[in-house]
Order: sequence, then C-alpha cells, then structure tokens
Amino acid sequence: MSEPFEPKIVAFVCTYCTYAGADLAGTSRLKYAPNVRIVRLPCTGRISPMFILKALQKGADTVLVSGCHPGDCHFTAGNYHARRRWTVFRALLAFTGIPEERIRFSWVSAAEGAKFAEMINEITEQTRKLGPFTQYQELQKVIETQSTY
Amino acid sequence: MGIQEQYRSEAAALLSSGEVKLVIGFGEGSTADRRRPLFARTPEEAQKFVLDAACIANLSTYLVTEGLLSDGKKVAVFLKPDGIRSVNILISEAQLKPDQVVILGYAIDKAEITALEGRNISDFSLGEEIRSHTPPPHILQEAERIEEMNPAERFEFWKAHFSKCIKCYACRQVCPMCYCRRCIVDVNQPQWVSTSSHTLGNFEWNIVRAFHLAGRCAACGACDRACPVNIPLRLVNYRMGKEVIDAFDYCAGENSSQKPVLASFKQDDPETFIL
Amino acid sequence: MAKIGVFVCHCGENIASMVDTGTLVKAMSDHPGVAICNEYKYFCSDPGQETVKRAIREHNLTGVVVAACSPRMHETTFRKACAEAGLNPYMLELANIREQCSWVHSEKNQATSKAIEITRSLVEKVKRNNELKPISVPVTRRALVIGGGIAGIQAALDIAGAGREVVLVEREPSIGGHMSQLSETFPTLDCSQCILTPRMVEAIQHPKITVMTYSEVEEVEGYIGNFTAKIRKKARYVDMSKCTGCGDCIQKCPVKKIPSEFECGLGKRTAIYTPFAQAVPNVPVIDKSRCTYFKNGKCKICEKSCQIDAIDFEQQESVETFEFGAIVVATGFQIQDTSVYGEYGYGKYKDVITGLHFERLASASGPTAGKIQRPSDGKEPETVVFIQCAGSRDPSKGVKYCSKICCMYTAKHAMLYTHKHHGSNSKIFYMDIRAAGKGYDEFTRRAIEEDGADYLRGRVSKVFEENGKLIVRGVDTLLGKPVEVAADMVVLATAMTPQPDAKQFAKRIGIGYDEYGFYNEAHLKLRPVETAKAGIYLCGACQSPKDIPDSVAQASAAAAKVLGLFSREQLEREPVVAAVGETTCAGCWGCVYACPYNAIEKKDITDRNGNLIKQVASVNPGLCQGCGTCVTFCRSNSIDLAGFTEKQIFAEVMAL
Repeated sequence: MSEPFEPKIVAFVCTYCTYAGADLAGTSRLKYAPNVRIVRLPCTGRISPMFILKALQKGADTVLVSGCHPGDCHFTAGNYHARRRWTVFRALLAFTGIPEERIRFSWVSAAEGAKFAEMINEITEQTRKLGPFTQYQELQKVIETQSTY
Repeated sequence: MGIQEQYRSEAAALLSSGEVKLVIGFGEGSTADRRRPLFARTPEEAQKFVLDAACIANLSTYLVTEGLLSDGKKVAVFLKPDGIRSVNILISEAQLKPDQVVILGYAIDKAEITALEGRNISDFSLGEEIRSHTPPPHILQEAERIEEMNPAERFEFWKAHFSKCIKCYACRQVCPMCYCRRCIVDVNQPQWVSTSSHTLGNFEWNIVRAFHLAGRCAACGACDRACPVNIPLRLVNYRMGKEVIDAFDYCAGENSSQKPVLASFKQDDPETFIL
Repeated sequence: MAKIGVFVCHCGENIASMVDTGTLVKAMSDHPGVAICNEYKYFCSDPGQETVKRAIREHNLTGVVVAACSPRMHETTFRKACAEAGLNPYMLELANIREQCSWVHSEKNQATSKAIEITRSLVEKVKRNNELKPISVPVTRRALVIGGGIAGIQAALDIAGAGREVVLVEREPSIGGHMSQLSETFPTLDCSQCILTPRMVEAIQHPKITVMTYSEVEEVEGYIGNFTAKIRKKARYVDMSKCTGCGDCIQKCPVKKIPSEFECGLGKRTAIYTPFAQAVPNVPVIDKSRCTYFKNGKCKICEKSCQIDAIDFEQQESVETFEFGAIVVATGFQIQDTSVYGEYGYGKYKDVITGLHFERLASASGPTAGKIQRPSDGKEPETVVFIQCAGSRDPSKGVKYCSKICCMYTAKHAMLYTHKHHGSNSKIFYMDIRAAGKGYDEFTRRAIEEDGADYLRGRVSKVFEENGKLIVRGVDTLLGKPVEVAADMVVLATAMTPQPDAKQFAKRIGIGYDEYGFYNEAHLKLRPVETAKAGIYLCGACQSPKDIPDSVAQASAAAAKVLGLFSREQLEREPVVAAVGETTCAGCWGCVYACPYNAIEKKDITDRNGNLIKQVASVNPGLCQGCGTCVTFCRSNSIDLAGFTEKQIFAEVMAL
C-alpha cells in the first residue's frame, strides 16, 4: 500500500436538478474534491438499485443518489417514487451489512451549486475516514481465487 | 367428522358438480411427517387429500402456474392464512381473478387443525390478524441479534450465508410472488446479476430478490424451508416487511385492492435519511 | 463494430488549463472501439463542428463523444452537427469535463484522470446508443385560458388577435377579476373600470374567444399540443341566450340584504344578481343558497318579472370537454385573512378595513358612490392610518414575501383620500417604501410632497378604541419614539396570497407550486412564463404578487409562447420514451400505477382467433415524458427507456 487512499464516489443524479446543480457549481467555479463520478439519468425515478450494486462492484467506496426536492420533480412524482424505493433499499442494505454511510441520498436543486460542492467535500471526507469498502470489493476477489481451481 | 374428511368431501363435491376443475391440496409425503402437493381432478382423487399439522406449505404458488387459469375455470386450493394473504397480493397484482379461486381455508395451532369460514377471498378479512402477526420467536430473536451487530459483523454474517448459495433458485420456484415470466437474474443484456456461483453474484441475487419482495411477502417461510443450504431468507424478508409497515404503514396482503407499495407514494413519506 | 470518434475540446483555456488534454486524447485513442480522437480549441465553433462532421464522414463513425461542456450547453449543437454529417443525432454523448471537472478542481493530475474516466464511461455508453427518431405529435391550435382577470383577458385577447381560438374560463359570474374592484390605478390614476371594461367587452365579443363564466376547469389530461380539459359549467338558472341584461329580476328580488362579495361586504346584493353593474356577460345568476324559491319552494318573483322567460329554475350544471394545445393559467390571488392580526382589531372594529375595502369606498361605482365614509357610521374620517406590510414580510404571523403592490396602492389611497377630502390627514406606517417601476417613485413622492401623506417608519403594535377614536399605537423608528395616533379609520395593507385552492388546482393540472401556493415557473429568470409542464404557461398574480402592468406584460409574454407553439402543425419531441417488452411483461400493473403521466395502458394480446392470451403493459409514446420510473419498478426488467437504456447505463457504470 504505497499510494494513499483516494475515495471513489459514484453519484447517480437526475438531469433536471442535481446535474444542473453540479453544473452551477462549475459555472460558479466552486472547488470540490475530484473523487466523484457523475452518472446522469433523466430522473431519480430511473435510478435502479442495480446501479448502486454495480457501482459498488466497480470499486465505489460511497454511492450518492441525488435528485430534485419533493414537489420540484420535473416529472412531478419521480422523486417521490424514488424516495420510497430508497427507504426500502437502504434498510435492506443496512440489514445485510452495507453501512448506511456508504449509500447517501440528497435533494439538490438546480440552484444549489454550493450545496452540491459542499456535499461532495463532506462525503469525500467521510469516505476517507471510513476507508475503502474492501469488504464488498473482496467479494469479487473470491471469484478470482475460486477460478484458479 | 374431522376437518380432513370434511374437506375431502367438499373437494369431491366441488369437482363432481363441475364448479372447479382442479383442487390443490396435500397428499401423503415420502415420510410420515412430510406432505406433498396433490392435484385432484376427480372426486376419487379428492379422497386422497390429507390435512394435518404437517401441511405447512403455501399452495398458492401453484395458482400462478402459467396457463392454469387462462381458461376462466375455477380452482380450489387448501390455504393457511399466509396463503390467503398471498392470494390477496396476487389479486392486487392482477395475477389472479378473485372469482377463480375457491379457498379451503384452515389454520394450524400446534397439532390442532381448524377450518376457516368462507370460500371466496372476499370472505376473509385478514387486516387485523396479519398486522399483529409476529414471526416465530426464533426468527424474531435472530433478526434482533443481527440488528445488534455492527455493519461489518452483519456483512460477515450474510457473506457466510450467501457464499453457500448455489443459485438453485428453489426460493424463487417455491415463492408465490415469483411469478415473473423472466426473472431479472436471467437477464443477460445487460447481466445485472452475475450468475456464476461466487459470493458477489450470490449477494446480488439475494439482495435483488429481497428487494423485489419488499412489501409483497406473505411471510409464509417457503423460501426458507426450500433453501438446500439453509440460508435464513425469512430474516431478510421479515426485515423488509417491517420496513414497509414502519415507514409507509403498509402491510402486504391485508386486502386484495392494495396498490403496490413501491408504485405509490405519499407526499409526506418519511425521508429522514435524505440530505 | 463500433467506430467512435472522441473530440476533446479545450474550450479556450477553460478546460485545457486544468485537464491535460494530450493525456486524455492519448488515453481515448487507445480505448477499444475508438476510431479517432482529436483535440481542438473550440469544437463548438464552425471549424470545430466541421472537424467533427468530416471525421464522421471519413471514418464512418458509429458514435461520437464530445468531451467539452455540459450537455445542457451544447448537446443540441453537436446533435445537429452529427445529423448534418449523416449520423443519427442520438448517437452522441457529451462528456462534461468543464462544469463538472476543469472548473471545479484545482489539481491537474486528478482533474485529468477524472476527465479520462468521464469520457471513457460515455464512450462505453455511446457504443450502446440506439438510433432514435424524434416523436412528432400534432398540435391542437386552441388555447385554454384559466382565469378571467386582467391577465387572463389580456392573454386571451393576444392569442385570439393572432387568429387562434381561445376558451376563457372564469369561475365567478363575470370576468374582470380583482381589477374590476379597484377605484383608480397607480401610477396614472386611471379609473380602473374605465380601462378594464372595454377589454372585457372586447373579449366577450371576439369571434375567436369563447368566454365561459361561472365555470371551472375540473380536469386536465394530456400533454403539450394535446390536452383534454373538462370544464364544469355551474347552473346559472338564467338562460344566457335569452337574457338581455335588463335587470328587472334584480329589482324585484325580495332577498336584498346579502353582503356583496364584490363590495367586500360593504354593499348588499340580491339573491339573483350580477356582481357589479358593468359585469360581462351582463347576465345575472341565482345564488341557490340564498334564493327563497330554492329554500322554501315558493317565490319565483324573478321568473314572473322576466318578460322573455329567461329564468330557468330547472337548469342543471353541465360538463363540457374540449381539446386544447396550450393552457395559460391566470388564476390570480386573494388577500390574506387579516384575522391573524387580532391586535389590529380587524373584525372587531368596523372601521379597521383592508386596502380592498378602501378601493370599494373610493370607487365611483362603489357602495358610497366614491365618498370615503366610515363603515361604522358613514361619517367622513378626518384622520386615516394606513398600516403597510400587515401580513407581508412578516415570517412570524403573515407571509415571508413582499406583496409588491401595497406600497404603491397605499400611496394611492392616501392621495385619493386627500383629493376627495381636503384638509384630511393620512398617516402611513411603513417598513420601507418599495416603489421600483416606471413612474412609481415619482408617484410616492407626489403623495408625500403634494398630497401631504405623512409617512412614519415603524410598526404598529396595537389598535384599540378609546372615546370613539381608533388609537393606533406604534413606533417611529426614525425618531426612536413610540407614537400614538387617534384615527377615524385604519386601513391594513394586507398581503396578497395565492387562491385558497391554488395547490389542489395545481395538482389537478399537474404544475408545481412553491411553499405558499404560488405557481412555479420553469426558470425564474429565463423561463418565467412557462411551467415545468410543457404547454402550460403562467401569467398574473398566480405566479407571484404582481401589479397590473406586470400582469399584463406577463400575459402577453404567455400569449407569445402559446402563439409560438401554435405556429407549427406538428411538434417534435425528444424520443426519450419507455417501451415494454411484451413477451416478458407479467402484467402486474405496477408501472401503470407508478407512471406520473398515466402513459401506460393495459393491452390485450390475442391469438389469431381473437382469444385473449394475456394482458401486458403498453406505453403511449405520446404521453410518456421519459422519467423512467416504470423501468426501475419493473421486476422482470421488461421496460426500457430509450436514450437511457439498461444496457447503456450498465456499460457506463461498469466503465467508471
């Protein structure tokens, strides 16, 4: 372990609010940690639990899901459906030992560039403290060892 | 006349009158304490039905056999309250028509079998009963024990269990809610769930199945019993059921006109975890 | 075999100063499936776009990734370029390495490796993009304008003036809205009725405008260009086609003492009534809850008095359905219930009134024929205290926002009062004088300098009665002293609030609203008259407190948007819509419940003889807006969303 740990954060965001908020952080030249990778979806309603699992598989140490504030969804109700889904999925992951701090949720509007930047910094710092999510990533290493015999 | 004889003759009568085309019940099993499903199409076959404390399977799963009910004819089925609950969910998800199912209801209390009043799904009001229904003490204790662990321990607990999974899909096969014509695990474009028998894929499969059952599970425990490697699947499903009650005041299978919990919402649903 | 072109834009220095574009180009050139990778100073420029087009032709590219700014900035630009070079415009992705990379990071190595990952994941996505065709939908070129106040009237007149049909719906018996209640209007002191009535008449006489008064929009379905609205016409009990507006029935009606809503309770009306003399249409309605016949089954004096048999006690309410291409919402405002200010004595003392009451007192057609008289005894007040921000800018009791019009109308009230009653004395308690607008500051200065309005900066703590006077106790913060004024009348400048049913109505038609119930525009600055729901526009005080000039300006703006939409027969929509895989659909209808647009229907699958085999979900691409909620719900993965397919996102995530 020569290199210091750099967290990898994958963010699934809706294009109308949080993606636009992230753009606003850019046009406002707000600086934040470079650890986040953004995947743009039309709506939080489109964000499937499978995306989160795949992001974790590909080495995400924390996954962020973010969309429009309640009442502001471009599609009127996509975020309400998403909220229910995340309530349940989050409980499921917690019960199976995936720490709640690894899966984060937020509402960031198109006007909240500063909130986005601050949040990414905060999540990056928190993830740095949590350390790499090796527990999950090692599930794959088992494959490699299994495939040798 | 005992309940077994009563239901035998009732099944025979349903068949001979032509009211139903099939009665699904229990027959003798391979050992004295096991029962296997018996599909009776004639009054004579109905005489082979067994009904005792060993009849614990949730036979509603056979109702969603593809094509079984497409001719519009009726089928009768032996069901415990959890099976009736499954039927409610299946009706609310448009997989069954209420008029096509004749219920021969029974309850098991220790070794005692009692008949349940009513034949049509609308005769049973389960609301109160299933809301107050708690899983067997050993499940509850185990669930509590897991909740008390720290995340890393929980992860190791489930990793140990899921690593045993051989992806035989017996849990899916036996579950009345797994009626999809194609399961997500069988989707390979893209391959959301890794299919080879390693722990990552096992983890994904079991998480996805639990998620798909959230707010839909009748808590019959069939998956748990079916699992050949003894993964305590009931625990996860119990936890999901608890979540939808606590968060959304939603109890799956209370009645047959519920909207799916994850396809509906309230504007003031809880969201304490969202920044 | 994928042949992807990757084009790395420097955006001048904007990207190149923080991302090592050379390294990015090198990394992408080596990536499987990338046929060509270039960098250039400005790919959005003409020569830049030419480079992209040439590369598409020369290399027969199957997909393009432009690593540059946000897709919200230049997606359209590069889609067009792709189309011009013969590549389907949807075979393009923009890798956002400016707003979400170079501009927000300060360490070049990290920014560069992030840019590589962003671009790589979109190369993997674009490899799985499908050729899509925009969806074209017909446009019904008829507009629905909801609300017949000045904003709605203006919007209707502008749309109709351009030759398009309009249905103008008003729930009150007459159009005109709040403006018809006003006396004079700031800053010119035009008589409100005098400038409004001609517009009302023009609207009702316009051959392209159908005015439906005493009607409400019950339900709106559909989408831009293709709305269906159900409009409920309440029973008027007067045959509109016969009535000549002679008013005989009103004269004869024996129930005469009903407080008039139009007069804010300062005047009376009959059970069969028109809200005001200039009402348009000039056809009375029978107030069923007050009518003696409806209550006791006896009377019908109005029927007897009507010489043309226009009274029809048997009339029923009816629901009519219309098709519309666009909707303008102009549902207006109400004033805040002042009862929250118990200390000001509203409701307790008759001479504590609201600004709207004062308008009626000052109006020549009002209950006092324009004389300022106290409601309690009809005497002319010598001293009037005006309390501004009686509700506005008061987060603890009233509303947080500024109601915008009160500074102006209070100055106007003080002025009118002085004009009508020389030697009178008006005292105005205020927080700030907000008089931004053409001729506005001059107007308030005039009130102070020429008409002697006495402005006291400070809040009022209490109003109480003593020896027949209303004692107004407050503070003058400029002098730093408590003050007490013995007034004959107190006028509260109450806050402008949304209609009480604004939120329910918004839900019914599917538009957003803020914490108060004012309707949300699509973008506060750049799209102020559009809602987030395409094809529905806003104008007037339903969006935020506004005065007449602003309402009218916004109404014309909304009309321009509607006419822009109506300039086409067909609309092209993004083809980002969901589709169901019928073979695997289990027909659980979760997607049907989840869809926010009711865009998913149940479809019968039958055999050759027409026997039903099964029912599956089926997406109506005209209604689908492409949120993808159904896709995520579907357990069997039987629905997919064009442009954001499962395959595309899987590839994108797996390449991160």
